[in-house]
Amino acid sequence: MSDSYVIVGDGISGASAAETLREEAPDAEITVITEEGESLYNRILIKEFAKGKLPEAPISIHDESWYDDHDVDLRLNTLVVDIDVENDAVRTHEDEVIEYDSLLLAIGGTPQQLPVENADADGIHHFWTFQDARSIKESVEDADRGVIVGAGLLGIDFAAICGAQGVEAKYLMRGDSWWRYALSNEGAEIMHEAMRERGVEPVFDSGVDRFEVDDDGRVEAAVDPDGERYECDFAGVAIGLNMNTEIVEGTPIETDNGVVVDEYMRTNVDNVFAAGDITTFEDLVLGEQAKNGSWGSAKEQGTIAAYNMVEYGSEEFEWVSSYSITHFDFPFLSFGHPTLGDDSVEATTDEGEWRRVALKDGRIVGGVLIGDLSPQSAFKQLMREKRDVTGQTELLMEPGFSVDDLAASTEH
Amino acid sequence: MAFREEGRRMRLRRTGRVPPDARVRHYDELDDATQATVAELAGRPRTAPESADLEDGDVVKFTDYYRIRAR
Repeated sequence: MSDSYVIVGDGISGASAAETLREEAPDAEITVITEEGESLYNRILIKEFAKGKLPEAPISIHDESWYDDHDVDLRLNTLVVDIDVENDAVRTHEDEVIEYDSLLLAIGGTPQQLPVENADADGIHHFWTFQDARSIKESVEDADRGVIVGAGLLGIDFAAICGAQGVEAKYLMRGDSWWRYALSNEGAEIMHEAMRERGVEPVFDSGVDRFEVDDDGRVEAAVDPDGERYECDFAGVAIGLNMNTEIVEGTPIETDNGVVVDEYMRTNVDNVFAAGDITTFEDLVLGEQAKNGSWGSAKEQGTIAAYNMVEYGSEEFEWVSSYSITHFDFPFLSFGHPTLGDDSVEATTDEGEWRRVALKDGRIVGGVLIGDLSPQSAFKQLMREKRDVTGQTELLMEPGFSVDDLAASTEH
Repeated sequence: MAFREEGRRMRLRRTGRVPPDARVRHYDELDDATQATVAELAGRPRTAPESADLEDGDVVKFTDYYRIRAR
Protein backbone atom coordinates (compact mmCIF):
# COMPACT_ATOMS: atom_id res chain seq x y z
CA MET A 1 0.00 0.00 0.00
CA SER A 2 1.31 3.48 -0.84
CA ASP A 3 1.99 6.17 1.76
CA SER A 4 -0.52 8.92 2.25
CA TYR A 5 0.50 12.50 2.91
CA VAL A 6 -1.85 15.25 3.99
CA ILE A 7 -0.79 18.89 3.71
CA VAL A 8 -2.83 21.58 5.43
CA GLY A 9 -2.24 24.87 3.63
CA ASP A 10 -1.56 25.69 -0.02
CA GLY A 11 0.78 28.65 0.34
CA ILE A 12 4.32 28.38 -0.96
CA SER A 13 5.50 26.06 1.84
CA GLY A 14 2.61 23.60 1.43
CA ALA A 15 2.81 23.70 -2.35
CA SER A 16 6.58 23.21 -2.48
CA ALA A 17 6.14 20.24 -0.13
CA ALA A 18 3.52 18.76 -2.48
CA GLU A 19 5.84 19.19 -5.45
CA THR A 20 8.75 17.54 -3.64
CA LEU A 21 6.62 14.70 -2.28
CA ARG A 22 5.36 13.91 -5.75
CA GLU A 23 8.95 13.74 -7.02
CA GLU A 24 10.24 11.68 -4.09
CA ALA A 25 7.24 9.40 -3.66
CA PRO A 26 5.68 8.93 -7.12
CA ASP A 27 3.04 6.46 -5.92
CA ALA A 28 2.00 8.26 -2.75
CA GLU A 29 -1.45 9.65 -2.09
CA ILE A 30 -1.15 13.40 -1.58
CA THR A 31 -3.98 15.60 -0.33
CA VAL A 32 -3.72 19.39 -0.02
CA ILE A 33 -6.36 21.12 2.09
CA THR A 34 -6.82 24.90 2.07
CA GLU A 35 -9.47 27.14 3.52
CA GLU A 36 -8.86 29.62 0.72
CA GLY A 37 -11.00 29.48 -2.40
CA GLU A 38 -8.06 29.49 -4.79
CA SER A 39 -4.93 27.45 -5.27
CA LEU A 40 -1.33 28.61 -4.92
CA TYR A 41 -0.70 32.20 -5.93
CA ASN A 42 2.27 34.50 -5.59
CA ARG A 43 1.84 36.14 -2.22
CA ILE A 44 4.74 38.53 -2.75
CA LEU A 45 3.16 39.94 -5.90
CA ILE A 46 -0.33 40.63 -4.57
CA LYS A 47 0.85 44.05 -3.33
CA GLU A 48 1.61 44.87 -6.96
CA PHE A 49 -1.94 43.93 -7.87
CA ALA A 50 -3.28 46.20 -5.10
CA LYS A 51 -1.07 49.02 -6.41
CA GLY A 52 -2.74 48.60 -9.79
CA LYS A 53 0.56 47.63 -11.43
CA LEU A 54 -0.18 43.98 -12.24
CA PRO A 55 -3.21 42.15 -13.62
CA GLU A 56 -4.49 39.07 -11.79
CA ALA A 57 -3.33 36.42 -14.23
CA PRO A 58 0.46 36.43 -13.64
CA ILE A 59 -0.09 36.15 -9.88
CA SER A 60 -1.47 32.63 -10.10
CA ILE A 61 1.24 29.96 -9.80
CA HIS A 62 -0.69 26.67 -9.77
CA ASP A 63 -4.04 26.54 -11.50
CA GLU A 64 -6.29 23.66 -10.54
CA SER A 65 -5.13 21.56 -13.50
CA TRP A 66 -1.64 21.42 -11.91
CA TYR A 67 -3.08 19.31 -9.09
CA ASP A 68 -4.80 16.94 -11.55
CA ASP A 69 -1.63 16.65 -13.61
CA HIS A 70 0.38 15.77 -10.50
CA ASP A 71 -2.28 13.49 -9.03
CA VAL A 72 -2.71 15.71 -5.97
CA ASP A 73 -6.14 15.82 -4.35
CA LEU A 74 -6.82 19.56 -3.78
CA ARG A 75 -9.56 20.54 -1.35
CA LEU A 76 -10.39 24.25 -1.64
CA ASN A 77 -12.64 26.11 0.85
CA THR A 78 -11.99 23.39 3.39
CA LEU A 79 -11.20 24.13 7.01
CA VAL A 80 -9.43 21.59 9.19
CA VAL A 81 -11.08 21.76 12.60
CA ASP A 82 -9.39 18.92 14.44
CA ILE A 83 -6.24 16.84 14.35
CA ASP A 84 -6.32 13.38 15.90
CA VAL A 85 -2.67 12.41 16.33
CA GLU A 86 -3.59 9.16 18.06
CA ASN A 87 -5.46 7.92 15.01
CA ASP A 88 -3.46 9.83 12.37
CA ALA A 89 -6.42 11.74 10.95
CA VAL A 90 -7.71 15.26 10.40
CA ARG A 91 -11.36 16.28 10.49
CA THR A 92 -12.75 19.00 8.24
CA HIS A 93 -15.55 21.52 8.91
CA GLU A 94 -17.86 19.21 6.96
CA ASP A 95 -17.00 16.37 9.36
CA GLU A 96 -14.99 14.49 6.79
CA VAL A 97 -12.17 12.45 8.30
CA ILE A 98 -8.99 12.20 6.23
CA GLU A 99 -6.35 9.75 7.42
CA TYR A 100 -2.63 10.22 6.90
CA ASP A 101 0.65 8.43 7.35
CA SER A 102 2.40 11.77 7.57
CA LEU A 103 0.93 15.25 8.10
CA LEU A 104 2.35 18.67 7.20
CA LEU A 105 1.00 21.80 8.85
CA ALA A 106 1.61 24.79 6.58
CA ILE A 107 -1.09 26.87 8.18
CA GLY A 108 0.57 30.29 8.50
CA GLY A 109 -0.85 33.21 10.39
CA THR A 110 -3.66 35.74 10.47
CA PRO A 111 -3.15 39.53 10.62
CA GLN A 112 -3.61 41.02 14.07
CA GLN A 113 -6.34 43.57 14.57
CA LEU A 114 -5.63 46.74 16.55
CA PRO A 115 -7.16 46.41 20.02
CA VAL A 116 -9.00 49.75 19.68
CA GLU A 117 -12.56 50.99 19.18
CA ASN A 118 -14.00 50.43 15.67
CA ALA A 119 -10.94 48.45 14.54
CA ASP A 120 -13.19 46.28 12.34
CA ALA A 121 -15.03 49.14 10.62
CA ASP A 122 -15.59 49.18 6.87
CA GLY A 123 -12.63 50.73 5.09
CA ILE A 124 -10.07 49.34 7.55
CA HIS A 125 -7.96 46.70 5.89
CA HIS A 126 -5.47 44.01 6.79
CA PHE A 127 -3.28 42.47 4.14
CA TRP A 128 -2.53 38.79 3.82
CA THR A 129 -4.46 36.96 1.11
CA PHE A 130 -5.19 37.60 -2.54
CA GLN A 131 -8.78 38.24 -1.51
CA ASP A 132 -7.49 40.94 0.87
CA ALA A 133 -5.58 42.48 -2.06
CA ARG A 134 -8.72 42.60 -4.21
CA SER A 135 -10.65 44.25 -1.41
CA ILE A 136 -7.84 46.76 -0.74
CA LYS A 137 -7.56 47.64 -4.43
CA GLU A 138 -11.29 48.25 -4.73
CA SER A 139 -11.33 50.36 -1.58
CA VAL A 140 -8.19 52.40 -2.20
CA GLU A 141 -9.19 53.26 -5.76
CA ASP A 142 -12.18 55.18 -4.36
CA ALA A 143 -10.26 56.76 -1.49
CA ASP A 144 -8.80 60.25 -1.12
CA ARG A 145 -7.17 60.11 2.29
CA GLY A 146 -5.54 57.18 4.02
CA VAL A 147 -4.11 56.23 7.38
CA ILE A 148 -1.50 53.50 7.78
CA VAL A 149 -0.56 51.78 11.03
CA GLY A 150 2.36 49.38 11.57
CA ALA A 151 5.92 50.64 11.09
CA GLY A 152 7.40 47.46 9.65
CA LEU A 153 7.93 45.48 6.46
CA LEU A 154 4.21 44.84 5.91
CA GLY A 155 3.03 48.35 6.78
CA ILE A 156 5.24 49.91 4.14
CA ASP A 157 3.31 47.94 1.51
CA PHE A 158 0.23 49.95 2.46
CA ALA A 159 2.27 53.14 2.08
CA ALA A 160 3.34 52.07 -1.40
CA ILE A 161 -0.24 51.14 -2.34
CA CYS A 162 -1.53 54.55 -1.23
CA GLY A 163 1.30 56.27 -3.09
CA ALA A 164 0.69 54.31 -6.29
CA GLN A 165 -3.08 54.87 -6.13
CA GLY A 166 -2.80 58.63 -5.52
CA VAL A 167 -4.13 58.53 -1.97
CA GLU A 168 -2.69 61.14 0.41
CA ALA A 169 -1.82 59.22 3.54
CA LYS A 170 -0.57 59.66 7.07
CA TYR A 171 1.65 56.84 8.28
CA LEU A 172 1.19 56.77 12.06
CA MET A 173 4.20 55.30 13.89
CA ARG A 174 4.58 54.75 17.62
CA GLY A 175 8.29 55.50 17.66
CA ASP A 176 10.48 58.11 16.03
CA SER A 177 11.21 56.18 12.83
CA TRP A 178 10.11 53.37 10.53
CA TRP A 179 11.27 49.84 11.55
CA ARG A 180 13.24 51.24 14.45
CA TYR A 181 14.32 47.79 15.65
CA ALA A 182 16.41 47.21 12.51
CA LEU A 183 17.35 50.69 11.27
CA SER A 184 18.86 53.75 12.86
CA ASN A 185 17.30 57.14 12.16
CA GLU A 186 19.82 57.74 9.40
CA GLY A 187 18.78 54.65 7.44
CA ALA A 188 15.10 55.11 8.21
CA GLU A 189 15.18 58.67 6.91
CA ILE A 190 15.96 57.40 3.42
CA MET A 191 12.73 55.40 3.62
CA HIS A 192 10.78 58.31 5.11
CA GLU A 193 11.86 60.56 2.24
CA ALA A 194 10.78 57.96 -0.32
CA MET A 195 7.36 57.82 1.36
CA ARG A 196 7.02 61.60 1.34
CA GLU A 197 7.84 61.72 -2.37
CA ARG A 198 4.79 59.49 -2.90
CA GLY A 199 2.41 61.57 -0.82
CA VAL A 200 2.69 59.48 2.34
CA GLU A 201 3.65 61.51 5.41
CA PRO A 202 5.27 59.68 8.32
CA VAL A 203 3.88 60.84 11.68
CA PHE A 204 6.16 59.92 14.59
CA ASP A 205 5.41 59.25 18.27
CA SER A 206 1.83 58.63 17.23
CA GLY A 207 -0.40 55.56 16.79
CA VAL A 208 -4.11 54.90 16.98
CA ASP A 209 -6.21 55.31 20.10
CA ARG A 210 -9.50 54.73 18.25
CA PHE A 211 -11.13 54.93 14.84
CA GLU A 212 -14.19 57.07 14.22
CA VAL A 213 -16.92 55.90 11.86
CA ASP A 214 -19.82 57.54 10.00
CA ASP A 215 -23.50 56.56 10.35
CA ASP A 216 -22.96 53.65 7.96
CA GLY A 217 -20.14 52.26 10.06
CA ARG A 218 -17.44 53.30 7.63
CA VAL A 219 -14.11 54.65 8.87
CA GLU A 220 -13.80 58.42 8.66
CA ALA A 221 -10.88 59.17 10.99
CA ALA A 222 -8.14 57.77 13.17
CA VAL A 223 -7.45 59.49 16.47
CA ASP A 224 -3.99 59.15 18.00
CA PRO A 225 -3.22 58.92 21.74
CA ASP A 226 -2.66 62.71 21.89
CA GLY A 227 -6.15 63.32 20.48
CA GLU A 228 -4.85 64.33 17.07
CA ARG A 229 -7.49 63.42 14.47
CA TYR A 230 -6.57 62.17 10.99
CA GLU A 231 -9.47 62.03 8.53
CA CYS A 232 -9.43 59.05 6.22
CA ASP A 233 -11.64 56.95 4.00
CA PHE A 234 -9.09 54.14 3.83
CA ALA A 235 -6.98 52.62 6.58
CA GLY A 236 -4.34 49.91 6.40
CA VAL A 237 -3.28 48.06 9.55
CA ALA A 238 -0.20 45.80 9.55
CA ILE A 239 0.93 45.26 13.13
CA GLY A 240 1.87 41.60 12.93
CA LEU A 241 0.48 38.10 12.64
CA ASN A 242 -1.21 35.73 15.04
CA MET A 243 -0.05 32.20 14.34
CA ASN A 244 -2.87 29.84 13.36
CA THR A 245 -2.21 27.34 16.14
CA GLU A 246 -5.86 26.87 17.14
CA ILE A 247 -6.11 23.53 15.36
CA VAL A 248 -3.27 22.01 17.37
CA GLU A 249 -4.71 23.08 20.70
CA GLY A 250 -5.74 19.96 22.56
CA THR A 251 -3.08 17.90 20.80
CA PRO A 252 0.37 17.04 22.18
CA ILE A 253 2.00 19.11 19.40
CA GLU A 254 4.30 21.66 21.05
CA THR A 255 3.72 25.34 20.34
CA ASP A 256 5.69 28.47 21.17
CA ASN A 257 4.53 31.44 19.09
CA GLY A 258 3.90 28.86 16.37
CA VAL A 259 4.46 25.14 15.93
CA VAL A 260 7.86 24.08 17.25
CA VAL A 261 9.92 21.98 14.83
CA ASP A 262 13.46 20.63 14.72
CA GLU A 263 15.94 21.24 11.91
CA TYR A 264 14.12 18.54 9.90
CA MET A 265 10.80 20.41 10.19
CA ARG A 266 9.36 17.69 12.43
CA THR A 267 7.25 18.48 15.47
CA ASN A 268 7.45 16.54 18.73
CA VAL A 269 4.93 14.09 17.19
CA ASP A 270 6.85 11.71 14.96
CA ASN A 271 4.68 11.85 11.84
CA VAL A 272 3.60 15.50 12.07
CA PHE A 273 5.70 18.17 10.35
CA ALA A 274 5.29 21.92 9.88
CA ALA A 275 6.66 24.49 7.42
CA GLY A 276 6.41 28.18 6.60
CA ASP A 277 5.36 31.12 8.75
CA ILE A 278 3.79 28.85 11.36
CA THR A 279 7.07 27.31 12.46
CA THR A 280 9.28 28.16 15.38
CA PHE A 281 12.30 26.34 14.05
CA GLU A 282 15.81 25.41 15.07
CA ASP A 283 17.88 27.96 13.14
CA LEU A 284 21.22 26.24 12.52
CA VAL A 285 22.84 29.46 11.26
CA LEU A 286 21.74 31.53 14.25
CA GLY A 287 22.23 28.70 16.75
CA GLU A 288 18.88 29.15 18.46
CA GLN A 289 15.14 28.93 17.79
CA ALA A 290 13.82 31.49 15.33
CA LYS A 291 10.89 32.52 13.17
CA ASN A 292 10.90 33.72 9.59
CA GLY A 293 8.20 34.93 7.25
CA SER A 294 10.04 35.30 3.97
CA TRP A 295 9.00 33.60 0.73
CA GLY A 296 12.33 31.86 0.16
CA SER A 297 12.46 30.49 3.69
CA ALA A 298 8.89 29.17 3.47
CA LYS A 299 9.55 27.51 0.13
CA GLU A 300 12.73 25.87 1.40
CA GLN A 301 11.04 24.71 4.61
CA GLY A 302 8.29 23.04 2.57
CA THR A 303 10.85 21.26 0.43
CA ILE A 304 12.92 20.14 3.43
CA ALA A 305 9.81 18.98 5.28
CA ALA A 306 8.83 16.82 2.31
CA TYR A 307 12.23 15.13 2.11
CA ASN A 308 12.02 14.30 5.81
CA MET A 309 8.42 13.10 5.58
CA VAL A 310 9.69 10.52 3.09
CA GLU A 311 12.88 9.76 5.02
CA TYR A 312 13.38 11.44 8.37
CA GLY A 313 16.86 12.88 8.91
CA SER A 314 17.65 13.11 5.20
CA GLU A 315 17.85 16.94 4.86
CA GLU A 316 18.45 19.76 7.34
CA PHE A 317 17.00 23.23 7.04
CA GLU A 318 19.91 25.66 7.01
CA TRP A 319 19.03 28.93 5.36
CA VAL A 320 19.85 32.64 5.40
CA SER A 321 16.69 34.45 4.44
CA SER A 322 16.24 37.83 2.84
CA TYR A 323 13.34 40.15 2.15
CA SER A 324 13.37 43.07 -0.24
CA ILE A 325 11.31 46.21 -0.67
CA THR A 326 11.02 47.11 -4.33
CA HIS A 327 8.48 49.92 -4.16
CA PHE A 328 10.94 52.74 -4.67
CA ASP A 329 13.54 53.68 -7.25
CA PHE A 330 16.26 52.27 -4.99
CA PRO A 331 16.37 48.75 -3.57
CA PHE A 332 16.06 47.81 0.10
CA LEU A 333 17.00 44.42 1.46
CA SER A 334 16.97 42.92 4.93
CA PHE A 335 18.70 39.60 5.51
CA GLY A 336 18.97 37.17 8.38
CA HIS A 337 17.73 38.56 11.68
CA PRO A 338 18.50 42.31 11.60
CA THR A 339 16.56 43.00 14.81
CA LEU A 340 18.70 40.60 16.88
CA GLY A 341 22.27 40.76 18.11
CA ASP A 342 24.36 42.43 20.81
CA ASP A 343 26.25 44.84 18.57
CA SER A 344 25.97 46.50 15.18
CA VAL A 345 27.93 48.52 12.69
CA GLU A 346 26.46 50.92 10.13
CA ALA A 347 27.55 53.42 7.52
CA THR A 348 26.38 55.66 4.73
CA THR A 349 28.49 54.42 1.83
CA ASP A 350 27.33 56.89 -0.81
CA GLU A 351 24.46 59.29 -1.38
CA GLY A 352 21.25 57.31 -0.78
CA GLU A 353 23.24 54.19 0.13
CA TRP A 354 23.29 52.90 3.67
CA ARG A 355 23.98 49.60 5.34
CA ARG A 356 23.82 48.12 8.80
CA VAL A 357 25.07 44.75 10.00
CA ALA A 358 23.83 43.19 13.26
CA LEU A 359 26.34 41.07 15.18
CA LYS A 360 26.12 38.57 17.99
CA ASP A 361 29.20 37.16 19.72
CA GLY A 362 31.29 38.59 16.89
CA ARG A 363 29.27 36.90 14.14
CA ILE A 364 26.90 38.46 11.62
CA VAL A 365 23.28 37.54 12.36
CA GLY A 366 21.53 39.88 9.95
CA GLY A 367 21.45 43.31 8.41
CA VAL A 368 19.86 45.86 6.14
CA LEU A 369 21.11 47.21 2.82
CA ILE A 370 19.66 50.32 1.20
CA GLY A 371 20.60 51.40 -2.31
CA ASP A 372 23.58 49.11 -2.84
CA LEU A 373 22.80 45.40 -2.51
CA SER A 374 26.20 44.21 -3.75
CA PRO A 375 27.50 42.97 -0.34
CA GLN A 376 24.47 40.72 0.10
CA SER A 377 26.16 37.52 -1.08
CA ALA A 378 29.28 38.16 1.01
CA PHE A 379 27.31 38.86 4.20
CA LYS A 380 25.17 35.76 3.70
CA GLN A 381 28.29 33.67 3.11
CA LEU A 382 29.83 34.95 6.34
CA MET A 383 26.62 34.05 8.18
CA ARG A 384 26.57 30.53 6.75
CA GLU A 385 30.24 30.07 7.60
CA LYS A 386 29.68 31.49 11.11
CA ARG A 387 32.78 33.64 10.68
CA ASP A 388 33.97 35.66 13.64
CA VAL A 389 34.54 39.20 12.35
CA THR A 390 35.57 40.68 15.68
CA GLY A 391 37.99 43.56 15.14
CA GLN A 392 37.22 43.77 11.42
CA THR A 393 33.68 45.06 11.39
CA GLU A 394 34.67 48.37 9.79
CA LEU A 395 35.75 46.42 6.71
CA LEU A 396 32.12 45.29 6.31
CA MET A 397 31.19 48.92 5.68
CA GLU A 398 33.64 49.42 2.82
CA PRO A 399 32.10 49.90 -0.64
CA GLY A 400 32.95 46.85 -2.73
CA PHE A 401 33.46 44.68 0.35
CA SER A 402 34.33 41.07 -0.40
CA VAL A 403 34.86 38.08 1.92
CA ASP A 404 38.48 37.99 0.75
CA ASP A 405 39.02 41.36 2.45
CA LEU A 406 38.83 39.65 5.85
CA ALA A 407 41.83 38.05 7.48
CA ALA A 408 41.89 34.30 6.86
CA SER A 409 42.41 33.64 10.56
CA THR A 410 38.79 34.50 11.27
CA GLU A 411 37.58 31.34 9.52
CA HIS A 412 36.13 28.74 11.86
CA MET B 1 10.72 21.74 -20.89
CA ALA B 2 12.42 23.79 -23.59
CA PHE B 3 16.10 23.26 -24.24
CA ARG B 4 18.30 26.25 -23.60
CA GLU B 5 20.93 27.40 -26.01
CA GLU B 6 24.36 27.43 -24.44
CA GLY B 7 26.33 30.61 -24.03
CA ARG B 8 23.48 33.10 -24.27
CA ARG B 9 23.65 36.42 -22.47
CA MET B 10 20.75 38.27 -20.95
CA ARG B 11 19.84 41.88 -20.34
CA LEU B 12 17.04 43.57 -18.45
CA ARG B 13 14.85 46.08 -20.23
CA ARG B 14 12.51 48.31 -18.28
CA THR B 15 8.93 47.62 -19.35
CA GLY B 16 5.91 49.76 -18.67
CA ARG B 17 3.30 47.11 -19.42
CA VAL B 18 3.11 43.58 -18.08
CA PRO B 19 1.32 41.21 -20.48
CA PRO B 20 -1.28 39.00 -18.73
CA ASP B 21 0.45 35.88 -20.09
CA ALA B 22 3.94 36.85 -18.91
CA ARG B 23 5.65 34.91 -16.17
CA VAL B 24 6.33 37.51 -13.50
CA ARG B 25 8.97 36.85 -10.85
CA HIS B 26 9.58 38.97 -7.81
CA TYR B 27 13.21 39.63 -6.88
CA ASP B 28 12.71 37.69 -3.62
CA GLU B 29 11.83 34.52 -5.56
CA LEU B 30 15.20 34.37 -7.31
CA ASP B 31 18.24 32.46 -6.10
CA ASP B 32 21.15 34.42 -4.60
CA ALA B 33 23.25 34.44 -7.77
CA THR B 34 20.34 35.59 -9.94
CA GLN B 35 19.46 38.30 -7.44
CA ALA B 36 23.01 39.62 -7.68
CA THR B 37 22.80 39.62 -11.49
CA VAL B 38 19.44 41.39 -11.53
CA ALA B 39 20.70 44.08 -9.14
CA GLU B 40 23.75 44.53 -11.35
CA LEU B 41 21.90 44.73 -14.69
CA ALA B 42 18.73 46.62 -13.76
CA GLY B 43 18.66 50.02 -15.39
CA ARG B 44 22.08 49.57 -17.00
CA PRO B 45 23.00 48.79 -20.62
CA ARG B 46 24.90 45.66 -19.61
CA THR B 47 24.60 41.94 -20.23
CA ALA B 48 25.51 38.89 -18.19
CA PRO B 49 25.48 35.12 -18.78
CA GLU B 50 21.89 33.84 -18.86
CA SER B 51 20.65 32.73 -15.45
CA ALA B 52 19.13 29.28 -15.01
CA ASP B 53 16.50 30.87 -12.77
CA LEU B 54 15.14 33.17 -15.51
CA GLU B 55 13.90 32.65 -19.05
CA ASP B 56 13.72 34.87 -22.07
CA GLY B 57 10.46 36.84 -21.83
CA ASP B 58 10.15 36.66 -18.04
CA VAL B 59 9.31 39.88 -16.26
CA VAL B 60 11.13 40.61 -12.98
CA LYS B 61 9.77 42.99 -10.36
CA PHE B 62 12.72 44.78 -8.83
CA THR B 63 12.84 48.57 -8.41
CA ASP B 64 10.78 48.62 -11.61
CA TYR B 65 9.42 45.99 -13.98
CA TYR B 66 12.13 44.54 -16.20
CA ARG B 67 11.72 42.18 -19.13
CA ILE B 68 14.40 39.55 -19.68
CA ARG B 69 15.93 39.37 -23.13
CA ALA B 70 18.27 36.42 -23.62
CA ARG B 71 20.20 36.12 -26.89
